[in-house]
Amino acid sequence: MHKLKSVHHLGFFIVFGFILFLASNRVDELRVYQGASVAVFVIAIASLILLTGYSGQVSVGQGALMAIGAYGAAVVRNELHVPILLSFFVAVLVAAAGGALLGAAAARLSGPYLAGTTLALAIGIPPLANQFSILGGEQGLAFDVGNPPASLGEDFTKYKWFFWIAALAALISMWLLSNILRSRYGRNWRAGRSNEVAAQLSGINTVRSKILAFTLSAGIAGLAGALLSMTIGTVSPSAFTYYLSLILLAGAFVSGISTLSGVMIGAVVLVGIPEIADVVANRMGSSENISTNLPGFLNYALLIVTVLFVPNGPVEQHHARQARKAAKKKIKSLPKPSMEGNT
Amino acid sequence: MIQFINTTLIGITAGSIYALMAISLVLVWRSTRVINFAQARMALLSTYFGYEAMVRTNSFWIALLVAMLGGGLFAALIELVFMRFLLKRSNSGPIASVAPIIATLGLYGVIRAVTASIWGGQELQIVAPVSNVGYSIGTETLVFSPLKLLILISVGVLVLLLSLLFQKTNIGLALRASAFSPEIASLSGIKVDLVRTLGWSLSGAVGAMAGMFQTVDGAGTFSPDSIGFTLLFVSGFIAAVIGGLESLVGAVIGGLLLGLVISFVLMYISSSLFFIAPFVVLLLVLFIRPQGIIGVKAARRA
Amino acid sequence: MKAMNRRKLISVSAVLAVASLAATAVPAHAAEVGVRSSEIKLGMTLPMTGSASLGYNKIPGAAKAYFDYLNANGGVNGRKITLIVKDDRYVPTEAVAKTNELILKDKVMALLAPLGTANVKAVASSVNPAKRGVPVLFVNTGFSGFADTKKYPTHYSILPSYQMEAKIMGKYIAENLADKKIGLLYQDDDFGSDALAGFKTAGTTFAVKVPYASGSQSSATAAGWITKFKAAEVDVVILFGVTSASLYMLATAAALKYAPQWMIDSVGGDSTTLKLAGVPAGVLYNAIGFSPVPATTDLTDEYIKLFSEIYAKAVPGSAFDLNVLLGMNSAFMTAQALKAAGLNPTRKSLMAVLNTNGASLFNSALSPVGYSGTSHVGLTGEWVGKYSPTGDLLPIGGTYTTYITDSGAGAVVKSTYKRPAMPAKGLPN
Repeated sequence: MHKLKSVHHLGFFIVFGFILFLASNRVDELRVYQGASVAVFVIAIASLILLTGYSGQVSVGQGALMAIGAYGAAVVRNELHVPILLSFFVAVLVAAAGGALLGAAAARLSGPYLAGTTLALAIGIPPLANQFSILGGEQGLAFDVGNPPASLGEDFTKYKWFFWIAALAALISMWLLSNILRSRYGRNWRAGRSNEVAAQLSGINTVRSKILAFTLSAGIAGLAGALLSMTIGTVSPSAFTYYLSLILLAGAFVSGISTLSGVMIGAVVLVGIPEIADVVANRMGSSENISTNLPGFLNYALLIVTVLFVPNGPVEQHHARQARKAAKKKIKSLPKPSMEGNT
Repeated sequence: MIQFINTTLIGITAGSIYALMAISLVLVWRSTRVINFAQARMALLSTYFGYEAMVRTNSFWIALLVAMLGGGLFAALIELVFMRFLLKRSNSGPIASVAPIIATLGLYGVIRAVTASIWGGQELQIVAPVSNVGYSIGTETLVFSPLKLLILISVGVLVLLLSLLFQKTNIGLALRASAFSPEIASLSGIKVDLVRTLGWSLSGAVGAMAGMFQTVDGAGTFSPDSIGFTLLFVSGFIAAVIGGLESLVGAVIGGLLLGLVISFVLMYISSSLFFIAPFVVLLLVLFIRPQGIIGVKAARRA
Repeated sequence: MKAMNRRKLISVSAVLAVASLAATAVPAHAAEVGVRSSEIKLGMTLPMTGSASLGYNKIPGAAKAYFDYLNANGGVNGRKITLIVKDDRYVPTEAVAKTNELILKDKVMALLAPLGTANVKAVASSVNPAKRGVPVLFVNTGFSGFADTKKYPTHYSILPSYQMEAKIMGKYIAENLADKKIGLLYQDDDFGSDALAGFKTAGTTFAVKVPYASGSQSSATAAGWITKFKAAEVDVVILFGVTSASLYMLATAAALKYAPQWMIDSVGGDSTTLKLAGVPAGVLYNAIGFSPVPATTDLTDEYIKLFSEIYAKAVPGSAFDLNVLLGMNSAFMTAQALKAAGLNPTRKSLMAVLNTNGASLFNSALSPVGYSGTSHVGLTGEWVGKYSPTGDLLPIGGTYTTYITDSGAGAVVKSTYKRPAMPAKGLPN
């Protein structure tokens, strides 16, 4: 049954990947680039779904872990000239190592204490790059994944290449992650999240489980960070502000933080909202004061609206509605209780 | 020697501002179990209220009062209209802890956009009520002035008043009871909802004080994107966590500790460690006491 | 349940793919991208909001003020110039995303005055304006690398680089303050290391160097800097940072009764901005300052007079400061280059104008622009001034003496450049 399920999943991802491949050939460059950004956010948001949704550890610092992964990839590529695939692996490993350390330190923390620690991390890590010249300082390090292979033809733009790499990475990591979340580990995380004492009583080492969640989540975030740097061609501290960590959490929330199914929704929202806000602001074109601040206003207002009206995420909301409908149907189909009592 | 003294003084005055913000965050946490990511922006809005009052009356004290009243009212409004609706809609689990963060984050951006739209991006000035020129000891000037002394005294008085409120009055008892156990509190007749709003409005007033003092102790000017306000929330939050999130005294200790550590690290080690120092302090404190310096270890619904 | 989920996701993505197809309607083919019979479109990205936006958010208004004036006076060969501005909040990811929109969606002809070294580098690497042949005019940073035509063939610097400014400062110190103890405040990133490199070339030695972490500027950290300078007993303190660093330094120094001989860099030394932000004029008095363009308060200068009039009409109530002047200056040069690019300007013809005749573009600066086919170095010099009792920077001795140099090991020499008269009404002729 399990094996069938994961093979089933694999089929889905392959089909989905094929659709993306087709789409990328028909769509203009701007959308292709945005597609790559969406793929990056999918991975980053997924890391939060694992950490916060499944393992219950609220982190406002994924941006820092992304930065660690990005710098790891860039340094290894620039200093040792390794192939791109290897630099992404290094990104995952380095970030995971960071996550393991952080997880060990944070295992005893909960709620706001954990949030505060991860926020301090989000602020503290990126500026460290200014201290070591090997990390390039404020201007950043170049991170060049190279040009698409000539075999793909002259018209194959660099953005399309980014999209393929990012989308492939997203597909693979989502497949792996969805299987991990289904496994014993996923169940352990969920158990630890709902009631830590009960979980411990049933034999789960919750501390180790939490650290594992942090490590894995950090590795995934590191991959997202390296991919993000790929899309902008550089790694610099200003690309990983703590604002990034906050909107990742927002994106995870919008997706439905306790399930992986809606992860694309959050990613599309994060990439699409700024553009929509800009377009709307331009349409309304009033005084300079307003037009400068309108995009920001819309960005955040939309966030509030989502939180207030779809707090469980659109997927869960939909499921809940379906479940209610099904329950109503079932109740209607039950035989009416007789008025005279049972015989 | 003078360098050491000044480093300490710098740390204490910076820390007192952190302490104010930490207090306002603790007040919100204790009353509604929410971390208000918009706290510094609400302080910014209150500072604009104070500025408007300053322009009309030329008195800092009236401006401060207006800022605190305005900040308190605005915070109460947010709690009534926004947070209540939010808390009803998000049920338990990871959503319950994350939803307020995202919601207050949204609020942060909306408030910023609205204040910038109304008042524009330019620097506005608020004049301090007393001189900020440092006291002299012989030929040396201390990094301590009547203004900084005023700020310290205000923080002390505020903590004293709030502690008296919490410990000695019925309202204070109601605040503490509702924070500890809302069900039992409402069973014994306390209007828990009202108490929640009160907690928020107190925090709004204290935040306003932080905003006003930070502005006059700085260059005297502020704008929607002032660096000071950008850092204020983070410093306040970290200070609150260091102090334990449950007590006002803890918030003050956390603020002062953070201020002193940053000051000494910048002076004697390297100023480039400005952003990583808070993280290290936080980690060290929480390693020894995961619930903060004066935190309570009781298993509450987090 | 899960199968339905999967199907839903597939259909959602299919819809997304089709929708994005529909959204990419190709506009009518124009003679050159961004050039229509009645309009030329230009694009700009910079921080308009966020803590890095202080002061810079006036640049779009300034550039638009000049373009509106130009458009009201016939535009460029009958075409109006439209400037599309997008906020990148000083984040490279957003700079890339917004520039993509400008080039791929809004289809601008050229990019004007993008800001921030990290952001311009990210755009250069990812969006690759060079490959697309998009000119990037008057890059708003002091990083000297954008003058390198091999790496950045379509980028044109304008501001003197940080190394140039540091060397000019060093020369002034060597000639006038040789026996004094010097202290330096600098930002602990590339901005600062460029400055240090320039000072090293100039041979300046410091009694103490105080770095600050970018973003940490406050009265508390400034008090720390002052404590260090006092301990080193320096006579001269050079402020080589951003405006907020000078701001807190000077305001706090007043409070701590610390009054060395100040020397302020051009980026952080705009007197109007500093005074509006709370620095008392008395603190600025007698400080030494530098600028590549005339003093913003010098109404005897024909450019300052005209530009401040245009700006006051366009944005009433807003002070005319260095950012405004530089913004209008770049807009003016852009207009001239576009006009000289011919009746049917193309990206190539625009860049040809800059490469061959860039040095002859009229502008308010007091050193010539150094563009050629092999180098896109912008302004190369600054004059030395002192702040007046009212806190305004004015040239020492009353006349502008400009020193010019390069970003490398070249010497600093007095410029003999005589700025040509402004074209009539400040319009391209």
